Amino acid sequence: MSIANTLVPARDTRALLIKWIVGLLVPIAVFTFVWSGEAIINNALLSLLGTGNVALGISLFIQLAIFILILYATVIALAGYLVAADSGQRGMIALWIDILVFVLVPLLLVITQGLIIGLALCAIVWPLFFLVRRRFAKALHYTPPQPLQNLQILDAEQRAELMSRGIMGGFWFSVALAVVWLVADLIFYITGTLPTILLILAVIRTLILPVAGYFLGRLGGVIALRRTLAQKDNGNGESSTDRAGRRISKRRQLQELSTSHKREEARDLVPNDLPLRSTGAQRFYLILIVAFILFYPVIDPFLFSFGTDGRLAGYGDAGYYVILALGLNIVVGFAGLLDLGYVAFFAIGSYAWGIIGSTQLTNLLSLPPINPHLLSALFWPMIIGAALIAAFFGVLLGLPTLRLRGDYLAIVTLGFGEIVPIVFLELDKYTNGANGIVGVYSPAFPGANWLSATPYYYLILGLIVLTIFVNIRLRDSRLGRAWIAIREDEIAAASSGINLRNTKLLAFGAGAFFSGIAGAYHAAKLGGVSPDNFSLGDSIIFLAMVVIGGIGSIPGVIVGALAVYSINLFLLAQLDTLAADPSNPLFAVHNAIASVFPGFTFGNIRNLIFGVLLVVIMIFRPEGLIPSARRRRELHAAADEQVEVGALDVVPGAPGFEDEVRI
Amino acid sequence: MSVEQASEHSGGPLLELNKVTKYFGGLAAVQDLDLQVWPREIVSVIGPNGAGKTTVFNLITCLYRPTSGDIRLAERTLVGLSPDNVVRRGIARTFQNIRLFNNMTVLENVLVGQHTQLKANILGAVFHPPHVVHEEDEARRRAIELLSFFGSELIERQEEYVINLSYADKRRVEIARALASNPRLLLLDEPTAGMNEAETLEAVKYVRRLRDELRLTILLIEHKLTVTMGISDRISVLDYGRKIAEGLPEEVRRNEKVIEAYLGKGAKAEEQESVE
Amino acid sequence: MTLFLQELVNGITTGAIYALIALGYTMVYGIIELLNFAHGDIFMIGTFVCVSIFAAFGITLSSSPPTGLALVGVLLVTLLGSMAVCAVLGVVIERFAYRPLRNAPRLAPLISAIGVSLILEDVAKLWKGINFITVPQIFPQIFYHIGPITISSINILVIVVAVVLMIALQWLVTRTRTGRAMRAVAQDREAAALMGVNVNRIIAITFFIGAGLAGAAGLIWDLQYGTTIFYLGFTLGLFAFTAAVLGGIGNIVGAMLGGVLIGVIEALATLIPDSNNGGIGLPHGGAPWHEAIIFIVLILILVFRPSGLLGQRTPEKV
Repeated sequence: MSIANTLVPARDTRALLIKWIVGLLVPIAVFTFVWSGEAIINNALLSLLGTGNVALGISLFIQLAIFILILYATVIALAGYLVAADSGQRGMIALWIDILVFVLVPLLLVITQGLIIGLALCAIVWPLFFLVRRRFAKALHYTPPQPLQNLQILDAEQRAELMSRGIMGGFWFSVALAVVWLVADLIFYITGTLPTILLILAVIRTLILPVAGYFLGRLGGVIALRRTLAQKDNGNGESSTDRAGRRISKRRQLQELSTSHKREEARDLVPNDLPLRSTGAQRFYLILIVAFILFYPVIDPFLFSFGTDGRLAGYGDAGYYVILALGLNIVVGFAGLLDLGYVAFFAIGSYAWGIIGSTQLTNLLSLPPINPHLLSALFWPMIIGAALIAAFFGVLLGLPTLRLRGDYLAIVTLGFGEIVPIVFLELDKYTNGANGIVGVYSPAFPGANWLSATPYYYLILGLIVLTIFVNIRLRDSRLGRAWIAIREDEIAAASSGINLRNTKLLAFGAGAFFSGIAGAYHAAKLGGVSPDNFSLGDSIIFLAMVVIGGIGSIPGVIVGALAVYSINLFLLAQLDTLAADPSNPLFAVHNAIASVFPGFTFGNIRNLIFGVLLVVIMIFRPEGLIPSARRRRELHAAADEQVEVGALDVVPGAPGFEDEVRI
Repeated sequence: MSVEQASEHSGGPLLELNKVTKYFGGLAAVQDLDLQVWPREIVSVIGPNGAGKTTVFNLITCLYRPTSGDIRLAERTLVGLSPDNVVRRGIARTFQNIRLFNNMTVLENVLVGQHTQLKANILGAVFHPPHVVHEEDEARRRAIELLSFFGSELIERQEEYVINLSYADKRRVEIARALASNPRLLLLDEPTAGMNEAETLEAVKYVRRLRDELRLTILLIEHKLTVTMGISDRISVLDYGRKIAEGLPEEVRRNEKVIEAYLGKGAKAEEQESVE
Repeated sequence: MTLFLQELVNGITTGAIYALIALGYTMVYGIIELLNFAHGDIFMIGTFVCVSIFAAFGITLSSSPPTGLALVGVLLVTLLGSMAVCAVLGVVIERFAYRPLRNAPRLAPLISAIGVSLILEDVAKLWKGINFITVPQIFPQIFYHIGPITISSINILVIVVAVVLMIALQWLVTRTRTGRAMRAVAQDREAAALMGVNVNRIIAITFFIGAGLAGAAGLIWDLQYGTTIFYLGFTLGLFAFTAAVLGGIGNIVGAMLGGVLIGVIEALATLIPDSNNGGIGLPHGGAPWHEAIIFIVLILILVFRPSGLLGQRTPEKV
């Protein structure tokens, strides 16, 4: 294929190109010009050249450069992929509306209102949009094309076509981007806001981009091709259509008979009706999100100007909430054991590091003080150490609850949640009682300044990734299945060979393990531990995170944790500051309510908001914000069918059967 | 009994209940029950409602502990074991009111049934060493194989949540789950409950296949007399917790006490006529 | 010994209040098997309502308390008012937060109950602020000395009110049609429905009565302790629930017995010596540990005798 063939679009491709180039160009332009894409790049370049008003160290510069490269390269490659993968069935306008609502609106909200409030507003806007769209679709009698009919096999010519589409997508997108950018830079230059040297660099960029676009578009095309169905393999009679003609086992064949597998495939395969949602595109999104999260501390000053450290510290705190929610999710979500005293294990984990990682232990044992640096290095093994200690107590406190039914279990765990902080408070010979332990050491890591928030941000990020990884492994294992079986039906589970006692104790232990990790982190970050860090209300908040996010769903509880955290500590505080400003409409609202209820602040009604949220969600969407696929089915099916209470489901205390059932 | 079965009688009975009694407070649910099930037999336990049949199953699987008496599987006593250990000894059961794990797929339900056949523990789950990966793969393969006992339909729906299945399909999944634990003795509690004629016929067929192809011993609670008569090698009849009759189907059918228990005294004569 | 007997008296007094609250828990649990987390907060609202009614009568901290017939009148009105408000509150909560979830998996109504509890606490916060509220002491405090111990007139009032209400409840449950219907629904909801019982109404009535009793408990708490705060309900509610379990959940006499026992245990706990002074006991003495002690009692009961002291419900059918 000559260059001309690959780059000049045929008529039918032209429509596709317009569709996607416009669709992607607008958000990226907003990011670059309205937000800070341009600012980041320019500052990085200027610091490289030694001029400019923001002095960056080499490491910061490199990080910024990597981030920018990843960002734009991914978007260009994505453009190539999308043009290649699109089957063309869905119209331009529908797509642009989708991009508007799901990309542009969040972008603008986040830019204007900050990350947390912006996302919170999205959470309101999107469901509204879904509602409106559904009404529209019904009114227009719109039926989307059947995805399953799209499993075509492509021949060599079609594959070549696909590839050229990808290349064209990448190439023309980057051309469009380069042109728009150059024009913008020219305008900036003419109005005097752009130094000359940067204009020269802009011209260079304009020349580089199309070239990069060609190759990145090719990459997008390759990724799209990987997701097509290849020709039937003629070699042996066993294998049928599969990717790249590999042999597949009989088991795979049987598995592939399942219809939901076919549906999964439809989302995966190219040509695709909804390429934005295809699994291929999701890889690109993942790269973008990971880059954003990884490089956030470096780009935050540009994105949100001053206050970086405060924000990072806040995210560091939100992070351990995520770990706590994931841990509680094992107990409540997987195994179905309603634990209302989870804060107890969090406290144990915190005190574990608090006592060991400070002068407390040496004081108690009347030993000479140990070198603080040595103790700091101990933090890393102590993460596991604190986790194991917490897990031990998890099992211990789980023992009395083994034969209790749901409500009783809840109360007993609630009791433990109350007792443990009291113990820490009153045993002040060991724990310093109400004064708590101060001077807890931060972890040791060469080159990291633990007085700032950045190292803690990365630390918690790493811990979160670890936690998610372990949770997914647990969920999809023999043990995970046993937990879910117990949650569904204890008697059937026992009758299928599951040892209820051990499995429940493992759930308590595993759940507590993660709270121990969070506890150690918390003690180190706060630099101290005291009993009033842990209250019953916290246990309720942890439960709310799991419930609101989606019981049993790993992405759900992560979102739930972030949502609850932001409402709890962020949103309400922000509302109060906003309400203090007379020009803000909230000011009037605040005063109106305060006239009836003196002492009203938005922060004060935090529990009220939670309470209402809990009740409303339980009634209307008990599966939570992002339910695990299971839950949604359960809770809405149960509403229709009569939930059968088996003969062996008896209240504890009813003599006769309950005392008799030996599980 | 067939010749085959007779030849396997060299040992003792597979399952033996010896003077088993169960009191709930003052109520005797089961009294002085003697029962024997020989290998590869299909034995039915029948009786009017409230006769204690499901209680017997619950006693065998150790969900209840007998007030007195002994229950043995292959000469080893079961009394005092926990229900999951009973499964490990080789007894699996289904429930009258189908107790599947509603929020799991067909495949996952059967995988849970394999719990005792798998060895992976929590460390294996987290670290995924090769032998665990292999074990999981094998488990999935075996689960599909178990489902294939009922034809390909369930395999096609392996990723569906069981809550969406038809009643008859749910029954089959429950049986597949029970089979997954590699039992020697299968307890089926009213396997044809709620089924129409066609479904019942099919169920009878696969119960027979379970014994014939998979070489299982089957103890059955059944209400439909046509099913019981057609499929059982022997029948035990309970009433008010006591065994009132036992024997070959033809004998039991004619037994006066049995007819009386089901239909009351006056119907005895009628029943005699209709049976002949 | 004197100390012991005195604490016994105190314990019985508090226990009577716990008993009244426990009745609400036990009745609701008996009938729909729900742990009404919000019940303790209904009691707390009751204490608040009483303060407001007092204020409406012009009774404040600085004014002189009414006497004679006026006193009786005020007490009666406050009692009925508090009971009425709480009873209505209970019914409203049941209708909107629990009834839609009657067929949902068991986690759902429990979480909803927690939500309601949070709502009530914040409403109380908005209503009367976050600080302790002192209640005007309107009942004349006369001390009677019986041997070594002192009983105050308020103690007697508390116990009398509690006992009268409990007797009334027992009469209601055993001698009236409604009471019979309540017991029927508690045993077998479907069968009761088939017998023509309006299940929804009976459940609402149960909540009405239970919450009403909590309202009464609110008044006598105010009289006895003279202070209340928005988070009073939660812990006290849990103590009352422990009492209900101790006595046997679903059993009305058991709740009364359990209440008194818990009150006594709590009072006697304060007598435990301070181990920091050497010797056996608990660090800082028994008083700061009383919550923990009561919870341990709860756990021990649930582990060793889950049916409670008097617990029995007739066995469910096979």
